Order: sequence, then structure tokens, then C-alpha cells
Amino acid sequence: MAAMNPRSNDGPSGRTVVLAFGIAIAAAVALVAVALLLRDDSGTPPTESPVVDLSGIPQDGRMLGPPDATVTLVEWADPQCPACRTYNEELFPIVVDEYVRPERMNAEFRGFPFIGDDSVKAYRFLLAAGEQSKLWDLQEAMFRNQGGENTGWVTDDLIRELAAEVGLDADQLFADFERDDITLEAENAEAAGQAAGIPGTPTLQIRIGDEEAYAIQVATVDQLRMALDDALAG
Amino acid sequence: MSDRALRAGAVLVALGGIAVAGYLTWALFDDAALVCVAGGGCETVQESEYAEIAGVPVAMLGLGAYVALLGLIVWDGRSARLAAAMIALVGGLFSMYLLALQLFVIEAVCVWCLANDVVIAPALAVLTALRLRS
Repeated sequence: MAAMNPRSNDGPSGRTVVLAFGIAIAAAVALVAVALLLRDDSGTPPTESPVVDLSGIPQDGRMLGPPDATVTLVEWADPQCPACRTYNEELFPIVVDEYVRPERMNAEFRGFPFIGDDSVKAYRFLLAAGEQSKLWDLQEAMFRNQGGENTGWVTDDLIRELAAEVGLDADQLFADFERDDITLEAENAEAAGQAAGIPGTPTLQIRIGDEEAYAIQVATVDQLRMALDDALAG
Repeated sequence: MSDRALRAGAVLVALGGIAVAGYLTWALFDDAALVCVAGGGCETVQESEYAEIAGVPVAMLGLGAYVALLGLIVWDGRSARLAAAMIALVGGLFSMYLLALQLFVIEAVCVWCLANDVVIAPALAVLTALRLRS
């Protein structure tokens, strides 16, 4: 007994190890296969009804609300960003109903389309909608119908459907979408956001008069109200 | 390297894995973390269609695997070593798949995922495999 090699008792045999590793590799391959087969690339289901009523609020290009407002809430967003969709559905209605519609401040939309080609394409449509003073209507509808990232969800059919929903002239929208200046602006928007030091989306900034805009960090309705009330209080 | 050192290293790396997977799991349910980070980021990766398997977040699967691994390393029986090596190998290989997804499909890199995929999971696979020789 004393002459026995303890290693032969303590460790599994080489055959066992090979078998175990074979099983592990097969399990890993199976896990990857299951992950690919069961992945859900449809994105979050559309939100059918508008989350906020923008009718009657003045719009001009990327601006929403009274043009002479002293305080501006600047929203940097990527049409494909799921967090922007969450902002659109949970916080944006508060901004509109309690601050923009009562003419306490206005809002400015800045695209930061960094996630992929669908982001740039969607932003081109938003800029084109701005030519009809409907950028904010289209972005609200677009976020509600957001698809999976870079799946080609920004289709002409979807845009025509949303254009009809928000009252855009679809033919004019597609014509403006092809304009060189709009294409260039959308394609340069990511670089512009980076140059402005935007770390991600949604990024919210407050601009008071001619002062330099400052970022606010809000995750809840209460935090949003506090930040906006602080800005209004000067 | 002695078995004691390998075991201590495996415990430390597993704890690191629990910390990273735990953070990513927590971030999934924390509203304050809801932001898509430019240049790639955890949120972009975690919000992608590859972040769940049959409705279960990958980060949560990772957390479960690391907790199981830590338990097996602490238990340290003969079968436990083999089971730990098998789980770590599955984790290491799956991490390579996740890394490929980030680099070539999602085109966004989550630094926490990267720490897991490049350092923690491979290190655990090597450490637990080496312990089979002890």
C-alpha cells in the first residue's frame, strides 16, 4: 500500500478527463447552438398608441416648444438605442406635458447615431421630418416601433406607415431623405456628438440662454422634475 | 505551481467572475444604468438580442456558473475538481462565442464582458484543468 502512487488515487484517469472534456466541449457547442436558435431578434414589441400628445406644440426643425424659451432641454439620442426608447416612453411625456406644453421651456433633438447603419438611416428620416416640422412626432413614433439593433428594421414600409400615422407627407419625406445636406448631416452626427463629448444615449443637457449646456443625470421622473425645476429656478 | 496555489488562484478568479457577472446582472435591473454607451458599451451589449437565452440573461447564467464553480473549488473532492474543470471549459468556450459576437456582430464591446471573456473565463478553465493533474 505504501508503494502506491497517491496520484493514481487522487486524480481522475486520463480517459475520464478526455471524456469529461469531450462532454464539456459538446455542451459548449450545444449552448451556443441553443443561444443562436432561441435568440429573439424582433426587438421589443411596438407600443401601439402614442405615449404623448404633441399636437398644437410649435416645432421648427429639431426644436419643440416656444422658440423664445430661455431654458432648453437638449436630448441626444440614437433611434436604435433601447434606453432612448425607455426615455421616450417614460420620461419624455413628463417633459412635454409639464414643461414644454406649458411653455416653461423648449426641447432640442440631437441625433447621435452610433449604433449602426439603421441609426443613420433613421436619423436621416428624422431630419427630413424636421423639414415638415414633424421631427418630434416621427421620433416618438419611431421609438415606439423600434426594432432589433441593426436588423434592417428601418424599412420604407415602416417609415411610410409612421409618416401616415403622424401626418407627414411621405413623398416629400422620402425626397428630403435623399437630400445631400441631410445625408451629410446624419452621417457626420456621430462625429459631432463625439466632439461634443457625448458619452452615450440618451444624454440630456440643459442650456440656459447663451450659457454652455450642462448634462443632467436622470433615471426617474422625480429626478427629471428636480433637474428641470432647478434649471427653471436659475 | 502547487495545488494549493492553483486552488487559491481559482478561488480568487471565481470571485472575480462572481463580481463581474453580479454587476452585469444588477445593471440589467437598475434603471440608472439605462444608457447606450458610445463606442460600444455594456448596455448596448446587454440590450442586444444575444443577451438572453430563452429569456434568461446571459449575465445571470454566468453568475450561476461562477457560484457553482466556487462551490466546487471549495468542496474540492475528486469529482468536484472534474466537474469544476468541465464547467470552466464550457464557460471558456462560451465566452469565446460571446467575444466574437461583440467584435463582429453587435460591434460593441462591453468592458466588463471583455474582462470576463478574455481574462476570467479562460483563466478559470486553465486553473481548474491544471488542478486535475495535482
